[in-house]
Amino acid sequence: MLMFIVRRIVAGIVLLFVSTSATFLLLYLGSGDIARNILGQQATQEAIEAKQVELGLDRPLLTQYVDWLGKAVTGDLGASWFTSQPVTEGIMARTWVTLSLVLGATVLTAVISVALGVWAAVRHGWVDKLVQVVSVLGFAVPNFLIAVALVIVFAINMQVFQPTGYTPFSESPSGWIATVTLPIIALTIGGIAAVAAQVRGSVMDALRRDYVRTLRSRGLPFNRVVFKHVLRNAAGPALAVLAVQFIGLFGGAIIVERVFAIPGLSDIGVTSTAQGDMPMVMGFVVVSVVLVVVVNLIIDLMQGWLNPKVRLS
Amino acid sequence: MFRRGSLAGLAATVALSLVAAGCGGGSSSDGGGSSSGGSKTLTLGLIAPATTFKAADMNFANEAPYGQAVYDTLLKADPKGEVVPSLATEWSYDDKKTVLTMTLRDDVTFTDGTKFNADAAAQNLVRFRDGASPNKSFLGSLKDAKAVDDTHVELTLKQPDPGLLNYLTQNAGMMGSPGQFGKPDEKTKPVGSGPYVLDTAATVVGSSYTFTKNPNYWNKTDQHYDKLVLKVFNDPTAMLNAVKGKQLNGAKLINNDFIDQVKGSGYSLVDWELDWTGLILLDRAGKMNPALKDIKVRQALNHAFDKEGLLKAYAKGYGSLTSQIFPTNSPAYDAALDTRYPYDAAKAKSLLAEAGYPNGFELSMPSTARVGTTLWSLITQQLKDVGITVKFTDAGANFIPDMLAPKYAATWMVLQQDPTDSQIINFEISPQATFNPFKYTDAKVTGLLDKFVNAKSDEEAGAASKELNAYIVEQAWFAPWFRVKSHYATDANTEVQAQMGNAYPYLWNFKPKG
Repeated sequence: MLMFIVRRIVAGIVLLFVSTSATFLLLYLGSGDIARNILGQQATQEAIEAKQVELGLDRPLLTQYVDWLGKAVTGDLGASWFTSQPVTEGIMARTWVTLSLVLGATVLTAVISVALGVWAAVRHGWVDKLVQVVSVLGFAVPNFLIAVALVIVFAINMQVFQPTGYTPFSESPSGWIATVTLPIIALTIGGIAAVAAQVRGSVMDALRRDYVRTLRSRGLPFNRVVFKHVLRNAAGPALAVLAVQFIGLFGGAIIVERVFAIPGLSDIGVTSTAQGDMPMVMGFVVVSVVLVVVVNLIIDLMQGWLNPKVRLS
Repeated sequence: MFRRGSLAGLAATVALSLVAAGCGGGSSSDGGGSSSGGSKTLTLGLIAPATTFKAADMNFANEAPYGQAVYDTLLKADPKGEVVPSLATEWSYDDKKTVLTMTLRDDVTFTDGTKFNADAAAQNLVRFRDGASPNKSFLGSLKDAKAVDDTHVELTLKQPDPGLLNYLTQNAGMMGSPGQFGKPDEKTKPVGSGPYVLDTAATVVGSSYTFTKNPNYWNKTDQHYDKLVLKVFNDPTAMLNAVKGKQLNGAKLINNDFIDQVKGSGYSLVDWELDWTGLILLDRAGKMNPALKDIKVRQALNHAFDKEGLLKAYAKGYGSLTSQIFPTNSPAYDAALDTRYPYDAAKAKSLLAEAGYPNGFELSMPSTARVGTTLWSLITQQLKDVGITVKFTDAGANFIPDMLAPKYAATWMVLQQDPTDSQIINFEISPQATFNPFKYTDAKVTGLLDKFVNAKSDEEAGAASKELNAYIVEQAWFAPWFRVKSHYATDANTEVQAQMGNAYPYLWNFKPKG
């Protein structure tokens, strides 16, 4: 067990190294005129050149990368070239914001998908068809459109929620709900389809097994059969899909964070990439890779807990 | 099944009740000018975050509110652009106009307890000149600044600079506390003497900046609120939603697309003409494209555009047609010049024929996807109608660097009409101007520039710039189409005045209404 975790962590570190060097190279090649981006169109040529020297942009690529790496392993990720804020501070604050959105959306997706999937698998017939149609619709409509529609209906017309902004939970739990509900719903709707379909498939498959027939023939109520035994067996594949959803939600969160003006990780990732704010982008990549590695590790451990057969392999 | 159902039902009930609680909490925490209890908050929407809070490096334009919240400037500008006293109460030049002496207030203290005096002023000026601000060239003519005594500071210039007083009303004149110089958090924790103090705990950098009232502010008449929140919106839709949801007292509209919706939400608009747009005919000597050497060709280009149509397409009709780059409040402005080149494709063709191009010529220009695609097709089509074939190259993020390299003989551009003639000249006309990359000049322009810089009075300078403007319009250095109207929206509780020559109204002009 321990060796498993250690191997995973080492693989994660290698991944971190590869991702950051690839990102550095891409940024460097695609950056255009970063100094002019920072200083604006009013700047004179000498101001631009001075800025380039200040940021170290005139040095060879490898030197810049090694310099960044050297500081990064000590925990110093530098400061944003555009807002002068220390990267660690900025990224960490925003990570919690996005995590609250993504975790909320994942939990909601899980709950709704399991309910829908089980319902469809158990009832068959028109219920099954309905669930399939609804989830595909949710998948097909872009979550940008859903987000805007939600804002217009619930935030502006009905004034039930806040149209933009983010209130931290620590500041005001009710304020937090007012600002995150619509974004979470927008993020959830797209993900339900995939997970619900997976749950439905796995549950139907499990229900056909002999052990289910045996349990029922011994007098166990159907509900208990489904919830205590079938779900645990069907959970494995569903969990894998959910994990992929979770990571994918960080990408989906970009548009939602823009539309709702939420100061999240995805928002700063897009903005800093477009501007060429190298320290911020590198910090963003580091956090993203760490998140992916950690999530995958947790999912693997959960799979092991759910299904003893997995532990041996 | 039922258990799952009841579980879901229970969850829904809990969520709804939380939401009900959330509405109550949420709606009073944001927006609204005067909330109950007499505590006034001003919440403004901006399109850019604060690049830095270090006084020596401050930005301006759309970032002006950040600096104006925490710092005072030596001088202030009223909404029309007239220079009025602020930290400096009196000022005068010597005969040569190279030494400026300013008398300063003696009752101002920075929020860290340091006293504001002439020495602090001198240090701030020198640090700005040598700092990292994109506008550091505002103090490019400053040779030295020194304190004569505690309330008098003397600025020595390398040559006369008619724009200096105006620069001192902007970021170049911002005064930070010497106690903060060189501190590690200088870029994120400002210490000034201004009306508000940055609340770093409540601030989310890049997204939302909160300021609280400075209780010891010396100029209470310009301090109208107890709390100030500056919110950054990267997305025009998000800004629009915030306006519709009444979360903002004021918002800078990025473009004119949403004006009707903003008005429909109960907001009022102030407008001002900030930018001009059109073509810059960079290569007047014909080094890259020989056709542009001929004045008739350049004048033909001025006649070739249907400015009314372009105004509708580009700015939804909000703006006024022009053929000059100086704004209406400038002494160089001449209303007659606005109609010097009316739309006349036939005249354009005949001018081209007279110049020796009866079949037109090829013109290469840069384009960028950031402005959409309509603009480029319109330019191509209108020039084709007079025989000129335009070849656009997408420069992407290098749009401005490529045009300034210079890689092209002409380009479309939108540029700010600066509040002073001096800025416009240094930015677009003089041989060293940023937007004169071919460094073109002629004897008449050189003479007029000389006359302008060495003018003994404002009237003399105004006469020189007026002559210069008339000359470059006649010489068709540019092909301007119109001045674009910028808009600022305020809610029912707030009033503001637009600031001539700046992208954002000045902070002290935001007042609660009624």
